Amino acid sequence: MRFQDVEIRKLSDTMWEIPRGGGMRVPGLVFASEAMMGDIVRDEAIRQVMNVAHLPGILKHSIGMPDIHWGYGFPIGGVAAMDAREGVVSPGGVGYDINCGVRLLRSDLTADALRPKLRELVAALHREVPSGVGSTGFVRLTAEDEEKVLTQGSRWAASRGFASAQDIACTESGGALPGADPDAVSAVARKRGRDQLGTLGSGNHFLEIDEVAEVFDDEAARAFGLFPGQAAVLIHSGSRGLGYQVCDDYLRTMADYMRRNAIDLPDRQLACAHIRSPEGERYLSALAAAANYAFANRQLLAHQARETFLRFLGMGPNDLGMRMVYDCGHNNAKFEEHEVDGRARRVLVHRKGATRCFPPGNAEIPEPYRHAGQPVLIPGDMGTASYVLAGAPEGMRLSFGSTCHGAGRRMSRTQARSSVRGKSIVQEMERRGVIVACASHKTLAEEIPEAYKDVSEVVDVVHAAGIARKVARLKPLAVVKG
Amino acid sequence: MKGRRFRLLPHTADLMLEVRGEDLPGLFSSCVLALFSLLVDRRTVRGTEIRSVEGAGETAEDQLFSLLREALLLFAIHKFLARSARVTIEGKRVTLTLAGEPFDSERHSVDREIKAVTAHLMSVERSPGGYLARFIVDV
Repeated sequence: MRFQDVEIRKLSDTMWEIPRGGGMRVPGLVFASEAMMGDIVRDEAIRQVMNVAHLPGILKHSIGMPDIHWGYGFPIGGVAAMDAREGVVSPGGVGYDINCGVRLLRSDLTADALRPKLRELVAALHREVPSGVGSTGFVRLTAEDEEKVLTQGSRWAASRGFASAQDIACTESGGALPGADPDAVSAVARKRGRDQLGTLGSGNHFLEIDEVAEVFDDEAARAFGLFPGQAAVLIHSGSRGLGYQVCDDYLRTMADYMRRNAIDLPDRQLACAHIRSPEGERYLSALAAAANYAFANRQLLAHQARETFLRFLGMGPNDLGMRMVYDCGHNNAKFEEHEVDGRARRVLVHRKGATRCFPPGNAEIPEPYRHAGQPVLIPGDMGTASYVLAGAPEGMRLSFGSTCHGAGRRMSRTQARSSVRGKSIVQEMERRGVIVACASHKTLAEEIPEAYKDVSEVVDVVHAAGIARKVARLKPLAVVKG
Repeated sequence: MKGRRFRLLPHTADLMLEVRGEDLPGLFSSCVLALFSLLVDRRTVRGTEIRSVEGAGETAEDQLFSLLREALLLFAIHKFLARSARVTIEGKRVTLTLAGEPFDSERHSVDREIKAVTAHLMSVERSPGGYLARFIVDV
């Protein structure tokens, strides 16, 4: 397989190596099938994997997941682990939507029981869960509240009665990253975030009612509280305007840092600073704060969804059984311990459009799931499927405990829009058995299923590579889009 | 303004814009209006209020980038939508004056959220009819 003038070496049916060349400090490693690789080499994502390999302190490989596509500096679907002492941190390696992620709520309801009421339920969710541009959350934050959100994340939501202990226990990192400093978040970023907490946003963010359509791993599914035919709720959102602004602010800080320190990289979007520099430390404090905002945001969205279910169905919480399965981010940089060249090293793992997937036995996994592996939530396009995976051992050896994050775009937004011109997407989705409520029909057109890669192919690759294994497939029944 | 002064170029994840202008101030104001056109149908926006922001930069690209960032923040923080724009350039400093009004959910449909204007592949160059700019917005 070739990408421009580079020969890509096939290591196995699911792994490809981009050899070191030029200023690359490590080789590239891409997880993909042969057919997917044929598509991947057509855009600039491989070039970006190679560019990331130039960053100071990068260890083992610059990694691409099967849902990889062209992003800002780093590819989306990219993983890069940096030595915590010598390495750099890069806002482009995290992305604008800091700690954007996915949360899955299970229930004791079957999809069949819900089906007759689905249309009205979706309308109620669309009313109660704020979505679309310009929407505001149901909580009015004072400046003091906002500081608590930034330092405490989901724990702030618990203190206000919007989260249970189980919600917190089943959120990655307990819903609060350490080291968050609200002072590292600019006044502009805080203003952008103040009235957006508890809002879904627009674009590819959504709230879905799903049916557990297929279970691949009975034991893990049982541990996660999932069963075939079950109704569940999947939420995809992030840190809203606050996170976007943190990224934007620090891209400029890092560009200055690079000029002053004469760091020469092939793409100026790789703007970065040494982890141990004041600029690097400040960005990491702001990153943690924005990540905490994202945890609290998804917590409020989940709270609103749960309350809407309870009111609409006239049920008690024990009968509904709507408990957290898990909440995992897919745009972050986290300090973790990994084995590199036979010894344990503290590293900063950048995951941009990639999900952490720790294997069975890892102490960071909530106790009830520890024997099964960390739950990993992979949203697909709105018409097809989403997946629940569990972290598997090869992930630690091959990809710093990381896996894919979604289907990955295949079509540009303009292409997607022109391909549906004149058709009603709402009707088309209904024909496929999915009820859609949306804030913007333009956004909906950009999010048609055909605009995405096949999520099943993406998941099959990480399963076959042994980095995460399939637990269950979810089928969307109804979608609220921003 | 006669016709659309911008078009979207193919880009997998984000939106890439190509904008034309007769001179630099005209180009910059068309870029700002293109940005607002991605948010809203500008024909639904009334020009009842005036807002002014400043930017600066060593190069035309840097000037444009700083103006677009400020323009986006007018919406992201103050929910201000623009109908028309005027730009003046004095040395490194650029001033943007917008006529528009605050977002009103009864009358405006905002189609998408723009996370940021990126410096990635931003270019300003001379073209046969004047000037041409390209930039990417993250959506």
